[in-house]
Amino acid sequence: MNYPVWELYSTGGGLLMVIIAVVHVYVAHFAVGGGLFLVLTEMKGYRENSSDILDFTKKHSRFFMLLSVVFGSVTGVGIWFIISLISPDATSTLTHHFVFIWAAEWVCFGCEIIAIFVYYYRFGKMNRKAHLKIGWLYFLFAWLSLFFVNGIIAFMLTPGEWPETGNMWDGFFNPTMLPSLFFRTALSLVLAGIFGFVTAVFIKKTEFRETMIRYCAKWLILPFVFMMIFAFWYFKALPDAPRAMVMGRSPELIPVVKIFMWFLPLLFIGSLAMAIRMPGSVKKPAAFVILAIGLVYMGAFEWIREASRRPYLIYGHTWSNSIRVWEEEYLNKNGLLQTAKWIKNREIKDDNMLEAGREIFKIECISCHSVGGPLNDILPLTSRYSILGMDSQLNGQGKINDYMPQFMGTSEERMTLARFIVQGLHGKKDTKASADMQNLPVKIPMENPVKIPEFDEEKSEYVLLAWSDSGMYTIPDSKQFHGMGPEGNNLFAQLIRRGETPEIVTEDVELTYKDSGQKKLQNLQITYDKTLNGTMELNQDLMAFAAESIPVRPYKDDGSFNPYPVFTIEARSKTDGKILGKTRVVAPVSTEMGCNNCHGGKWRAKGSGGISDQTSNDILTVHDRISRTNLLDMAQKGRSIDCSSCHSDSISGAEGQSERLNLSASIHGFHANYLTEKDGDACHLCHPSSPDGNTRFFRGIHKSLDMDCINCHGKMEDLALSLLVAEKQAGKKSADRLMKYLSPQAVQNIDQVSPRKPWINEPDCLNCHVDFQPPETDESEINMWTKNREQLFHMRTGEAGIMCQACHGSSHAVYPTANFLDKDRDNIQPMQYQKNQYPIGANKNCKVCHTIDMEEEIHHPNMLNMFRNSEL
Amino acid sequence: MDVSQLIPMSEAIPVHWGWFKFFLILTFVVHLLFMNAMLGGGIIALASSVESRFKNRVLAKETGAILPFIIAFTVNTGVAPFLFVQVLYSPFIYTSSVLMAVYWLSLVGMLLTAYYSAYIFDYRFDRPGSVFFIAVSVILMLVIGFLFTNNMTLMISPEQWTRYFDNPDGTILNFAEPSLIPRYLHFVISSVAIGGLFQAIVKKFKDRKTGNDSKADIENGMKWFTFATLIQIPVGIWFFMALPQEIRRMFMGQDTLGTILFMSGLVGTVLSLISGFYTRVAACTGWTIATIAIMVLMRDMIRDALIAPYFTVSSLKVTPGYSSLILFLAVLFIGIALVVYMLKLAYVPAEEEGS
Repeated sequence: MNYPVWELYSTGGGLLMVIIAVVHVYVAHFAVGGGLFLVLTEMKGYRENSSDILDFTKKHSRFFMLLSVVFGSVTGVGIWFIISLISPDATSTLTHHFVFIWAAEWVCFGCEIIAIFVYYYRFGKMNRKAHLKIGWLYFLFAWLSLFFVNGIIAFMLTPGEWPETGNMWDGFFNPTMLPSLFFRTALSLVLAGIFGFVTAVFIKKTEFRETMIRYCAKWLILPFVFMMIFAFWYFKALPDAPRAMVMGRSPELIPVVKIFMWFLPLLFIGSLAMAIRMPGSVKKPAAFVILAIGLVYMGAFEWIREASRRPYLIYGHTWSNSIRVWEEEYLNKNGLLQTAKWIKNREIKDDNMLEAGREIFKIECISCHSVGGPLNDILPLTSRYSILGMDSQLNGQGKINDYMPQFMGTSEERMTLARFIVQGLHGKKDTKASADMQNLPVKIPMENPVKIPEFDEEKSEYVLLAWSDSGMYTIPDSKQFHGMGPEGNNLFAQLIRRGETPEIVTEDVELTYKDSGQKKLQNLQITYDKTLNGTMELNQDLMAFAAESIPVRPYKDDGSFNPYPVFTIEARSKTDGKILGKTRVVAPVSTEMGCNNCHGGKWRAKGSGGISDQTSNDILTVHDRISRTNLLDMAQKGRSIDCSSCHSDSISGAEGQSERLNLSASIHGFHANYLTEKDGDACHLCHPSSPDGNTRFFRGIHKSLDMDCINCHGKMEDLALSLLVAEKQAGKKSADRLMKYLSPQAVQNIDQVSPRKPWINEPDCLNCHVDFQPPETDESEINMWTKNREQLFHMRTGEAGIMCQACHGSSHAVYPTANFLDKDRDNIQPMQYQKNQYPIGANKNCKVCHTIDMEEEIHHPNMLNMFRNSEL
Repeated sequence: MDVSQLIPMSEAIPVHWGWFKFFLILTFVVHLLFMNAMLGGGIIALASSVESRFKNRVLAKETGAILPFIIAFTVNTGVAPFLFVQVLYSPFIYTSSVLMAVYWLSLVGMLLTAYYSAYIFDYRFDRPGSVFFIAVSVILMLVIGFLFTNNMTLMISPEQWTRYFDNPDGTILNFAEPSLIPRYLHFVISSVAIGGLFQAIVKKFKDRKTGNDSKADIENGMKWFTFATLIQIPVGIWFFMALPQEIRRMFMGQDTLGTILFMSGLVGTVLSLISGFYTRVAACTGWTIATIAIMVLMRDMIRDALIAPYFTVSSLKVTPGYSSLILFLAVLFIGIALVVYMLKLAYVPAEEEGS
């Protein structure tokens, strides 16, 4: 942000860094352990009076000199160069704070060079003891170089008390400084043995060659044991967060840790195998193979160390993209484009969005991600996103998956970056989520307008009221990957015998339901164990008949999509079979779950709805990665499971696993981190409520009054927090992880959030309609929930036992409704019994049931007033 | 675009900026001497290897044998000023490096190749085709020098930095800078001169040790020095004239220190030339080192003057941390003492074994 960014799109700075750093570090460690190897081998030569050993030592010292002095020193400079090019800010911090440590290391390095020159060029030409002293001095300087550099490298991972004190020594003598130093020292000795092989295999005398190879192999064994001990110490010294990264929180590290773990025994066994007598023609290539294994091992270690630092370059001080931790708040408030120095497009306009997005991209992303390159390629990682999905991903980045920094900047800049990634990098043209839905108009075969059953106000003896207990049943349609609780619509009905004192009829009648239009579904790989026709069961407590879990689907064989299938309900006398009442009702159902907005893939069913395999695949991949599960593997083996088998679900009664969050808290809590500041759009991204979708299930009077999901349910953050707080209070620790970055919107702080259980504690109609009166506000009091299941709208009855939904319609489809496909499709009964769309009995129309006008408000207060919003 | 808005923020330093200035100038002078000896030595070794009137296989071999050491010390002594320049001028050196990142990073590969090539030239000197390796070495050193000149001028030319917005790929070179070529030639020619002087110094030392008389070789070395220094005069004038007028004025009366340094530099050059003509190696060496030190100080003044509208080192905030300076000084003195000790040990003869 402070410096210009080298736009290394395809290569990616990380790759260059890895290449230079790994080879340098390999040789640099050899330069330490190899020094001890030289002097001890020389001593062995003197001890055994062996000119062969001394010759070997001299030859090895030449190889050592050419490798460490030339390659080691130049690649060391190379590291300086590459880090200052890729991360000048962090490099600046290291040079400024540790300048004299670097300078001291430089002195040691200079002394190393002189020592090794004297050692090699004066080998055999100077006093032996003096020569050995030179060897020891070399080792001392080399180890001191390691000592100084190690302190700074360890500081980057564990700066200790330095962030608070600013004292250089606190940073240098940090919590992992010693374990790292000991580990690296032991590792350098192991490498000395490995590099010793390279010289030893070229010895011409067979016996002596085998002797020296075995000698080199011995160099591996003891240091190897210590290396393992120190590695464990190092690992234990890591703070929780970096340790979690190593243990799998960072997906980048999982394969690297595997390599590290596999190559460790490989290195050990391979080195021991060198001790076995074999022809030189075998051992020569074998020595180089072991050398390569060592390089991979070293590279894996350094990679793990670097990546365990994520999302920082300097832990707690500088983010991976070189932005300082303390700058984040300022950037979020004032914007990156207004703050960063090397910016051309300070303002975001219609004609510079991609250019501005590109500038944001290079500051926030390019230091770690290549574009089409071999390392951390951003293209496959983002190919599945629409712009909205990409924006959501950026929004949630660094919150739950904390191996990346959060996006820093304004929400407008975030969207601009999303646009650049989707349109600029991927060349996608779509600007809307669910674009394929827009491009593939759905054929929705249905009677339009819906046929309204007959009702004779004078002669009919019964009024049959029917409703679905939910305004929309949403099903994922992806059972082969994952289920999400029970599937099926619940239809309810109440039969009322008309009269001056009407009566709810529950005896000697039989109520049946029948799909009015749906045909058998044969080609959609959906099988049912229930038919779509049947008899409704009496629920004595509710004095209503119910048909539960009707496996209705929004599809037909021809691929057409109908989220509002109509069922016919008939009430018959059990005594003579005479039809007492007949009505029709919508059994709303949709598969339009917008998972593909962020998880990629198209709709399962011809651009109309359903979660495709590709989408499900990604959902499970993400779940597996974050929660360390193997759901995708299980699904691919035909053992898919229902979400509620782990995450309890009060709607189905599934108990799940006690330590896991319930399904609603888990899903809303997780996704809320990605969908902040989106108001109702946050709901539309996942639920079939999008104003331009194929379902648009929010269709009642409240929709006509321009209300939105959040008027009742609250914003995504509030909705999620209310669920999570309840789970936290129930002792579920994982709630904290999801709550960490969520801020309540409706109240000042988290303590004011009222906890709730899903499907039990829901928004109460009476929050706004206090005492059934006209509301004074259209904003429901968030954090005021129904106290129990019986208070839910679909469970409630008025004073005379008529259920609320019988007269008012389903939630989200409260009369009068305006279904976008067919205006009166959800108004069938008001139209049938009253010839209007208002709630049953509205506008003093008591005679629908009572056959006469009434003067008392029996069912609930305020019911004898005229319908207020008649103009809608 | 307002260039001053592009200047990155600098960070606090642990001790007064004067310490870093001192270390920067001191270590850069040392680095420059090694660098000149390396490049000049390489050029002389190459010239002495090819079919020409310069051909002198003994000189080529001897120079080739020394070259790897000189490269090692050039690299090592280059690290220190590179570190100190980052501490004092991080907003400038990092920025210019990023602007020419591709070339700057490629320098590492070139240096490695030049280094190994020099070793191969030494080890395979008597084999046919060895001249190829010294040629590769020298050519790469020349390219590296050119890239350094680019970076060092680009870092003090913030007005050139806006080119980044048209070319963020790290391939900007500072060809727009009028002093680029003469400055580069100034360093290359100076290297040839120092390379020649270095030959003479080495011969002098060897003669003192062996009792031989290498007068011809010493004279040959001094010829390289004097010839190159004579060429340096017009190149130096070109370089000076290519500097902005206000910089030139700084050395021509407007600034007392600048004028004294400039005059001293001219005097030092003349005196070193005279010493060169008379083959007085020690005097010539002394005057040359003094002149180089003066030139380095002048170079530093030019840098500070050019970036003065945006930054001064005295504005750097100090967060005291003198204990680390003490550590460095202690390590430096102990290191120097141990180097002296090692060099003494190196010449304890093998015959003393067991004594």
